[in-house]
Amino acid sequence: MIELKQIEKTYRRGAEDVRALRGIDLSIAAGELLAITGPSGAGKTTLLHILGCLDQPTGGEVLFDGVNTSHMAESELVRLRREKIGFVFQQFYLIPGLSVFDNIALPLLFSKKPATREKILALAEMVGLEHRLDHAPSQLSGGEMQRTAIARGLVNDPDILLADEPTGNLDSENSDKIYEILRSLSQNGLTTVMITHNTELAARAQRTVQIRDGLVHT
Amino acid sequence: MNGYLKLAVKNLLRHRTRSALTMLGIAASVGVLFSVLSFNRGFSEGLAVELERTGLHFMIVPSGCAHEVAALVLHGAVIPKFLDTAVMQHVNEADGIDLATPILVAQLPDPQRGKIDLIYGVDMTALSAIKPSWQITGRIPEQDHEVLLGYEVAQHEKLQPGDRFASPVEGVDLMVAGIVGLTGSQDDAFVYLPIATAQKLLDYPAAATAIGVKVTDPTRMLEITDALTAAVPGIQIVTMGEVMNSISNLAASARALSLAIVLIAILISAVGVMNSILMAVFERSQEIGMMRAVGASRSNIFRIILEETTILSLGGGLVGIFISILGSRLIEAFVRAVMPFVPSGNLISFDAGLAMGSVIFILVIGLCAGIYPAWKASKINPVEAIKG
Repeated sequence: MIELKQIEKTYRRGAEDVRALRGIDLSIAAGELLAITGPSGAGKTTLLHILGCLDQPTGGEVLFDGVNTSHMAESELVRLRREKIGFVFQQFYLIPGLSVFDNIALPLLFSKKPATREKILALAEMVGLEHRLDHAPSQLSGGEMQRTAIARGLVNDPDILLADEPTGNLDSENSDKIYEILRSLSQNGLTTVMITHNTELAARAQRTVQIRDGLVHT
Repeated sequence: MNGYLKLAVKNLLRHRTRSALTMLGIAASVGVLFSVLSFNRGFSEGLAVELERTGLHFMIVPSGCAHEVAALVLHGAVIPKFLDTAVMQHVNEADGIDLATPILVAQLPDPQRGKIDLIYGVDMTALSAIKPSWQITGRIPEQDHEVLLGYEVAQHEKLQPGDRFASPVEGVDLMVAGIVGLTGSQDDAFVYLPIATAQKLLDYPAAATAIGVKVTDPTRMLEITDALTAAVPGIQIVTMGEVMNSISNLAASARALSLAIVLIAILISAVGVMNSILMAVFERSQEIGMMRAVGASRSNIFRIILEETTILSLGGGLVGIFISILGSRLIEAFVRAVMPFVPSGNLISFDAGLAMGSVIFILVIGLCAGIYPAWKASKINPVEAIKG
């Protein structure tokens, strides 16, 4: 589904060039649950942003369903993110003024699709939040916030869900719940890529890739 | 409510105090703008009505400055130059004159009471034609020794119709025949008396400050004034239109200054909007990064921020108009207290067109102020924003 060929990413920090990725080759199959691990600063998040078309590589090619996205225009990348990619972040990034329902429905505003109650309720049920739809994020636990963020990531029916340390701010019980949701999504055919420092969770994934110094170590 | 609007409202509600204060800044400037525009409009209309109420078409005055005539007509000044009432004979003989009445306006010191009366001598039979809108308690003087008091004079001296009015001239006893109801104009400060009595009190026999004239056919006014100017030497004719222009010109600089101050206030509130929205954008950069990640385009982000500005501007504009209507009497009282001449009647009244114009104006200014923060927000790099 996604193929990365010799991906490089160099960015400037002050007067110095930092090579975050130094030639990554990676293939991700449809429906796969992939865990990316590695030490801090290894380039995991940079890789995830390139996978999610949020960032462009400085070298190499990203093939998304066979289409090279490395040189796509901004508007095409936006369309791709809307239609095919879901994001989940460590800090959840829920909007405090909006209810759980509205937070889940937010991406539909940009894709101009109707936010029907049935659709949002189905997603909320899937992540176990059907009783929390009218609550504000401040009334939720960390695990509930992350489950809201997962539902938000799924609302546009993406082909791939990218999760950047989704359990990084959660205790082990909630981490397990989140992992189970991601595993069940993958079993239902959704390609899922998860960055994690949690070696136990990574070990339970279908495949684990370790990134170190901008290179893949399997 | 559409999704963008809902999102914008929720974002503003997250910092209620800041949003309320920003909106209040806009409301204050729109309120002042609306009040000043209403006042300026009311001033011009009030002036026209006031001059029309005199029932006169033009004034004959000694040759001199038209501004002095303006001051005379508005009762606020005393002109040291007089006309001889013999001019009246020429005026009465002229063709097309419906009414001509000499007017003597002067200050009359009364050393015993330690004050100065403002007196307005006029032919009492012509008074109802000159001041048709007056409400009089009692009656118009019919005898030479009778006077009519302006509202403030009667209040100050605590006089009623039938009371004796203290005269500064020995041997002249005056009596109050009537009292003019409150006009809210300078008319309230005068003592009106038959012109012959005024001439006697002032010791200016046969003198008049001006002669007020009403013509039978206003379309022939130019012809009549030309004929009079040619026939009578040493006079100047000033039409009420010219008087209005003179006063309008005098007031124009004050109006321009007040508008300039209002525009500065609006500029300050626009900077306030820009500052407030810009601050909100910086605070929410991670959220904006998240929205970009989940499919928002730059124009989507631009729209969200601009809708927040629209709500602040529109809300502030409507609140400002509302406050201005509620406080219009207070503002009017203040303006009357500080301005040398203000026509009588309600000067600040609600005008839908003016209110809508003021709101649209602040909306445009608000949107201009919102463009920079919206552009800044749309340029936020999602990768850097999400990293924090």
